[in-house]
Amino acid sequence: MPEDLNQKISQFLDNELDHVHALNLLKKMQPQTELQDILHRYEAISNAIKTDFFLLTKSDFSIKIRQQIQQEAVYLLPQQKPAKRRHKVIALAASIVIVAVIAERGINNQADQLINAASTQQVAQHQAQKPVAYEHQADELPLNTRINEYLQAHNSSVYTNGEANFQTFARVTAYSQK
Amino acid sequence: MTVVKLFFVALLASIGQVLADEPEIDARQALMKMTHAMEVLNYKGTVAFLRNGKLEPMKYVHAAKKGVEQERLSSLNSPMREIIRDSDKVSCLYKETQQIVVDHRPFEHSFLVDIPRNLDKLGAIYQFEIVGEEDVAMLPSYVVAIQPKDNFRYFRKLWIEKQNFLPLKVVVYDNSGVIQEQVVFTEIEVKDALPFADLKFSDTAPPVQHIHQPQTHSSDQAAFVVTNIPLGFREIFFTRRPMHNTRQLVDHLLLSDGFTSVSVYMENKSAAMQAGLQSAGAVNSFSRTIGDSQLTVMGEVPPETVKFIAEGIKLKGLKD
Repeated sequence: MPEDLNQKISQFLDNELDHVHALNLLKKMQPQTELQDILHRYEAISNAIKTDFFLLTKSDFSIKIRQQIQQEAVYLLPQQKPAKRRHKVIALAASIVIVAVIAERGINNQADQLINAASTQQVAQHQAQKPVAYEHQADELPLNTRINEYLQAHNSSVYTNGEANFQTFARVTAYSQK
Repeated sequence: MTVVKLFFVALLASIGQVLADEPEIDARQALMKMTHAMEVLNYKGTVAFLRNGKLEPMKYVHAAKKGVEQERLSSLNSPMREIIRDSDKVSCLYKETQQIVVDHRPFEHSFLVDIPRNLDKLGAIYQFEIVGEEDVAMLPSYVVAIQPKDNFRYFRKLWIEKQNFLPLKVVVYDNSGVIQEQVVFTEIEVKDALPFADLKFSDTAPPVQHIHQPQTHSSDQAAFVVTNIPLGFREIFFTRRPMHNTRQLVDHLLLSDGFTSVSVYMENKSAAMQAGLQSAGAVNSFSRTIGDSQLTVMGEVPPETVKFIAEGIKLKGLKD
């Protein structure tokens, strides 16, 4: 009987069994792992002979995949609800307001900078004429100003640097030396 | 006999050819001649200063008469200004505001390049060599390389005009060969005489602002001592003076090796000061705090040098 089954398995792999016999064979193999192992072994031999290459899969390969799928966690992702038309209109209006505010601030800043640049000389001159030395001003001195002062004391390259802000600095520094 | 004569003629010709290929002078001689020419000749031209990524073209005039010199620079671009060096006094007129700043620079001699008078003392730290001949401002010139023998200072090249020995170009390179600074004439001419000039005061000009010559003291008075000094650097002056538009005193020690100078500043600690390294073109500075004091080392040297010097500074009476 086993040899008969082995022969039928071989015929099954060679596609020589008819539909009825093939179905009966599969029904018999289903509860018997030994027969399933024989099927895999014959299949491996057949493929190795035909193609010189065979990737052997374990008999429980498909079972394990099925078990993994069953154990996979279910993610309850929120579904995107279609936005209401009213909400869309409100969001659009809010965006326009924000853009308008930012744009206005940007324009004001640019204008302030232009005004500051134009009045820097006047402010510096005003400072230069004020015979007051602020004791604690050094604590608030911007880093670049301090480095510029060091550079000015270091050598005369500041005169040929063409730094637009050096004039202001030089005046203020010079006045404090009087 | 004729053959012998021909042989000697050929020999002399070949020797003459070899000598013609060699520079007539060496690098030190060229530099000494340049220093002398810069002092005694009258010359003017257009010079471009390239520092910290900024190009500053200026008109340049040097007038000399009976041992008295004057150097003048006039900017071609804003901020418009005229700068005059009379001996150790540097005056700067800002034309837009008619503001005049008068500064004192007793240890500097030129806006173009300062060369120490005694190059023999620098043999231990620099190597001088004529490395070629090139044209600058359409004038043939020697290319003199001033190569430091360590990494504490920058490599320089000078292009010295062959006829009058005036400096036509000065380039400062960092240790990786990148150009840090450049001073180059685009045109220059030597005159028999050039007039001296005074800054013209306008009736409505604000009062002249003076940056007084710092009163030098002995560095023994300094609150700090510098222990890491690269070979060849020596103390030029030490002063204690108010800065930052306040009466707060700042200690200032200037060190120089002849070509390169480094300043050490020390003052009371303040929150505004940023510690660490800063760079502006060839000038690097390194700041750190020691106790309640804050020190900054600044100079036209590589970043490693200012850091090295700063890390070797100790407060007197403060043990590590």
